[in-house]
Amino acid sequence: MTTRRRFLLSSTSTLALASCEREDEGQPELPKELRVFIWADYIKPELVKRFETEHNCKVVIDTFDSNEAMYAKLKAGATGYDIAVPSSYMVKLMHQQMMLNDIVPGMAPNLRHISGDIANKVYDKLFKVSVPYAVGCTVIAYRKDKIKEPEASWMLFDRADLNPKTTLLNDMRETLGAALRTQGFSINSRDEVELGQARDLVIRWKKNTAKFDNEAYKAGIDSGEFSAVMGYSGDLFQVVAENPQVGILLPKEGVVISCDEFVILKEAPNPFLAHEFINFMLEPNVSAENMEHIGYRCPNKEAMNIVSPSFLSNPVIKIPDEVMNRSEIIEDLGDDLPKWTKAWDAAKAG
Amino acid sequence: MKKRRAFSTAITIGALVFFHAPLVVLVVNSFNTSRFGLTWDGFTLKWYEELFRNREVLAALWRTLKIALLATPVAAVLGTLAALALHRHRSRLQQAHMLMVQLPLVIPELLMGFSLLLFFVATGWQLGMTTIWIAHVTFCISFVTMVMLARLQDFDFTLLDAARDLGASRWQAARRVLLPLLWPGVLASALLSFTLSIDDFVITFFVSGPGTTTLPVQIYSMMKLSRSMPVINALSALLLLATIVLVMSSHILIRPRRS
Repeated sequence: MTTRRRFLLSSTSTLALASCEREDEGQPELPKELRVFIWADYIKPELVKRFETEHNCKVVIDTFDSNEAMYAKLKAGATGYDIAVPSSYMVKLMHQQMMLNDIVPGMAPNLRHISGDIANKVYDKLFKVSVPYAVGCTVIAYRKDKIKEPEASWMLFDRADLNPKTTLLNDMRETLGAALRTQGFSINSRDEVELGQARDLVIRWKKNTAKFDNEAYKAGIDSGEFSAVMGYSGDLFQVVAENPQVGILLPKEGVVISCDEFVILKEAPNPFLAHEFINFMLEPNVSAENMEHIGYRCPNKEAMNIVSPSFLSNPVIKIPDEVMNRSEIIEDLGDDLPKWTKAWDAAKAG
Repeated sequence: MKKRRAFSTAITIGALVFFHAPLVVLVVNSFNTSRFGLTWDGFTLKWYEELFRNREVLAALWRTLKIALLATPVAAVLGTLAALALHRHRSRLQQAHMLMVQLPLVIPELLMGFSLLLFFVATGWQLGMTTIWIAHVTFCISFVTMVMLARLQDFDFTLLDAARDLGASRWQAARRVLLPLLWPGVLASALLSFTLSIDDFVITFFVSGPGTTTLPVQIYSMMKLSRSMPVINALSALLLLATIVLVMSSHILIRPRRS
């Protein structure tokens, strides 16, 4: 008995050791390796494979779960990654901290395909250090069986007849941002009077909400537990595609847009290959295939003409120009952050 | 008497439901066509199919298991040795030792992960499997030591003296008396380390390098943007099945021999 157990133990550990060594030895033999630090499931795997074959290289994908965690890790000195995919506000911070390599336009000719509507909203409008990759926005999802002909406005949350069947995002930038937009202010306002008015509006909306929530609203709107929710387009893309009872409203006051961007890190072991990868992802047919897989819009003019009609008909993908013109991307607040947390704490408590 | 039994039965059932209902929901949802899991839209195996096509998730799972398998035995051995030293010797040095063993249990994971990262960066260590392994062994040792110290509280050291009296060498006494008696404790603490290693997110995130994303890191990231979240239900259901098989077979292996 003892020997059998001992055998089992020793054999499993040798196996594990052996395979570990194999992996360590295998890496230097490969010609080139590109390491990408990105959200999980944010690139179509088949496209990554195609790039690997075309460029005779290996692409290693690692994932993070928040911009802040990714930043902390890289700032502390973790190296080895070539490309990272932070959101626009984090690009600014990383740029200021000298963590980014310059993008050489000559090495990425496909930069010309990037849509102007996004290019003039992001932090780095000339793509000096970052390249817009995917765009999402914050919208309202509602149940068609519960609300007849709703108005496309954030003031939907002010309707007392929906009490208590709505949810708001538990994120101060989103919810206070929507309230600021509704009153005609910038979502990046740093003015305490404006923030105070936004806070009061959120307190009014809160009377009709079941809760502030970032996760359960998807299932809740799908099952009909809620009548209207504020949510991320990426999450709701799937819900509207699968449930005909759920409709989308793009509030006329404008929405909060988020844009994740490719950056090449300062310490990138392989900046040349990184440029090739970014250029590859910007090819219209690649971009089109990719966005249909991930469920976010890639800001690529040509690609939008190639994507399937069903993808384009998803209401979270195509934002009308008049809404787009009033929409903004979240900026880093820097030293003004306490003004926001103060307003947000008061809104949640009030 | 009868009333009392009804009461304890109710408590038992309540506890069992509380512990296992979430698992049942998870397993049921892994076969649910609906992505969101609040309504039943029909039976499907598509999440399992997607799981076996998802090379990122499978690679992360394999990596996670490998680290746990490699970290567990080392932590079990070192932790047990530490517990023996702490139990037998009471000196200033051992007090300091005790403090160092307890420290990883009380400091926040975030702090530990970040300080390990800074340490590895400062010493110029390439982040990867090795750094994750070192980190996991480090925090698992503390748990093993605490479990083994509790075990040693009840350990009858006169048995070792008896063995020595009967002519066993120190090594023989340790090998034939001490180790077999401590074995269940070592196994239990090893299982604990295995679970901790598989679960760990915060520390692992900071000390992992390119190409070493583990399953918990992958899952946390998928929660944000992924469209294939139910794949995780399928994976968890399979892990659950594997755990049940593992626990049952270890029961069979450890069952006392019938005389």
